[in-house]
Amino acid sequence: MSPAQENQVNIIEGLKERIGGGNVLETRIARVRRIFLTVKVEALKAAVNHLAAQGFKHITTISGIDLGDSIGVVYHLDREGLQLSVKVVVPENNPVLPTITDIIPGAVLYEREVHDLLGVVFEGHPDLSRLVLPEKWPDGLYPLRKKHSVEDIKRMVNEVA
Amino acid sequence: MGLVKWARVKSPWVLHINTGACNACDIEVLAALTPRFDIERFGVLLKGSPRHADVLVVTGTVTRQVKERLVRVYEQMPEPKFAVAVGGCACTAGVFHACYNVYGGVDKAIPVDAYIPGCPAKPEAILDGVVKLLAKLKGD
Amino acid sequence: MKLPESETTFQIPIGPQHPALAESENFTFTVDGETVVDVKARLGYVHRGIEKALENGTYIQNLYLIERICGICSHAHTLCYSQNIDEALGIEAPPRARFIRTIVAELGRVHSHYLWLGLAGHEIGFDTLFMYTWRDREVVMDLQELITGNRVNFALFTIGGVRRDITPYAIEQVRKGVKTLEERIQYYKKMCAKEVTLLKRTVGVGVLKPSQAINLCAVGPLLRASGVKRDIRKDDPHAAYDEVPFNVITYDGCDVASRLFVRVDEVVESLNIIRYALEHLPDGPIRVKVPRRVPTHETISRVEAPRGELFHYVKSNGTDKPERYKVRTPTLANIPSVCEMLKGGYVADIPITLASIDPCFCCTDRVAIVDAVKGKKRVWTWEQLSRYSEKWHGRR
Repeated sequence: MSPAQENQVNIIEGLKERIGGGNVLETRIARVRRIFLTVKVEALKAAVNHLAAQGFKHITTISGIDLGDSIGVVYHLDREGLQLSVKVVVPENNPVLPTITDIIPGAVLYEREVHDLLGVVFEGHPDLSRLVLPEKWPDGLYPLRKKHSVEDIKRMVNEVA
Repeated sequence: MGLVKWARVKSPWVLHINTGACNACDIEVLAALTPRFDIERFGVLLKGSPRHADVLVVTGTVTRQVKERLVRVYEQMPEPKFAVAVGGCACTAGVFHACYNVYGGVDKAIPVDAYIPGCPAKPEAILDGVVKLLAKLKGD
Repeated sequence: MKLPESETTFQIPIGPQHPALAESENFTFTVDGETVVDVKARLGYVHRGIEKALENGTYIQNLYLIERICGICSHAHTLCYSQNIDEALGIEAPPRARFIRTIVAELGRVHSHYLWLGLAGHEIGFDTLFMYTWRDREVVMDLQELITGNRVNFALFTIGGVRRDITPYAIEQVRKGVKTLEERIQYYKKMCAKEVTLLKRTVGVGVLKPSQAINLCAVGPLLRASGVKRDIRKDDPHAAYDEVPFNVITYDGCDVASRLFVRVDEVVESLNIIRYALEHLPDGPIRVKVPRRVPTHETISRVEAPRGELFHYVKSNGTDKPERYKVRTPTLANIPSVCEMLKGGYVADIPITLASIDPCFCCTDRVAIVDAVKGKKRVWTWEQLSRYSEKWHGRR
């Protein structure tokens, strides 16, 4: 194993030790500087806390993705070029997650964006007001949800505007 | 030619507004001001207020957020006034046709007198469009 | 023009356009007299809905939409996208393509930094700098047009490589252009270091401490001007950056002046990279054939755009259209930092401080100022704010 690979394996093992192996659902070392993990929602904050303490203080962004009956939220953390993406999955009818802005203040706008476009609620976030959608956008219409086509969205917004 | 018309043709004052563009056209509009292209030799001056403008230069594809503002800026301009759509997405939706937050084209909001295509429109094309508009002004 | 006593709250639009109406604001400032006390951000003017549109287009169609997220760093977006899909497909662009990608990306950085230098000069009333730098920038625009066929929006990078080769004639012209640009940037470097009016407006202004920059996850020249040595080209090498020697530029001033010096020095580094890459340009094909469908995969791609770390994420599902495509531009990453650095500063310093993060106009648009004591609001145009800044600084 190369030093880089060993380093990546150590990071994953360290995380499992800290939050419990049962809380890490999936691990994938795609290549150098690319780790992908899925963790249980309950373990998200503990995972981010641990990783931030390990030097993953930079959050590149948070990606939300509509998976059908659930929503995937991927936290893209960075440590000197090493990208570690941590995914959690929340049910579509109750998409609630704890905020991580108390650990990584730089996540503040990314959580707001995921809330705006996908409707995920980040409990404890200082201000989840609209970030990118216009003023008169209908409440509850989350454009990145798969159930809405572009034509649907345009029609629904025209009805309100 | 009357004095007012002469002044307008000799020195059209222009207001530039971005309605949701990627900025490529905006920087080419700005480039048209710079020494190499020098739109000022046609008497064109970039102004800050609609009340002083003869020509409204519009870039961008008119997002939902901006449409009302565009219409109000146009209404604030004194007659006779002219609007120029600069760039492919200002003429029609262009590459943004599948985007949910765009109206797609400046003429969906205000009447347009000249369309300058290009993605982005080159400064030479912008100058050409402005000169053609001036010719139209003269002809009125 | 002095801030009137009775109405010390303002809504102010920012950006090179000149909107004249009070509408929804993108930044809300709370002020106490002439000092900014708090800043709140809200974007949205140029939200088009691109990420949704990307789910409806094929991977090749999306190249042309991605390019137009931002016209100033469009090359960065297509580079990031091409790399992303290359990785999702499990292929690598040929060496010659990677070098051409690097050369064009660095030319893009040079054009963007020259553009910024001109606009920053314009911001502090130094219009001569604007005219000079934009005149010099035309050298880069010509080279870009020669290599790619267009001044802006090149359609050069594609999945699997690049679409056009760089001809020997173009190589020769690039070498000449690089020489001219180098002379000019050295001139601006000397000038910026000595020009008193410029320094007065930028030294000690818009301070962002290294700890703040790191906590708020700042990127790009903003981060490097606070002494933090982070650059995607070195930390997460892509294209030909692991084969080309260059320095990561940092300055310790943590202020607007440092951000200016970082960008000027980065132009010098970029010109060196271009020269080296031309010298060592490998022979061979410029692209590999790629299938239309991308197997189920999840990949990430990053480039160091002129403004900082640009990030793309794709989730493919075996079809010819992405299931999800996420883009995070560097300006968004820097907004929490710019809010922080404006606090405690003067209202008159707002324009140059905002300009110092090199905000992509597509991202930010309007600004509001609210008086902490009186709670009133008013609208100023960008021109009014700029003129206020000049007069205010002229009096000091």
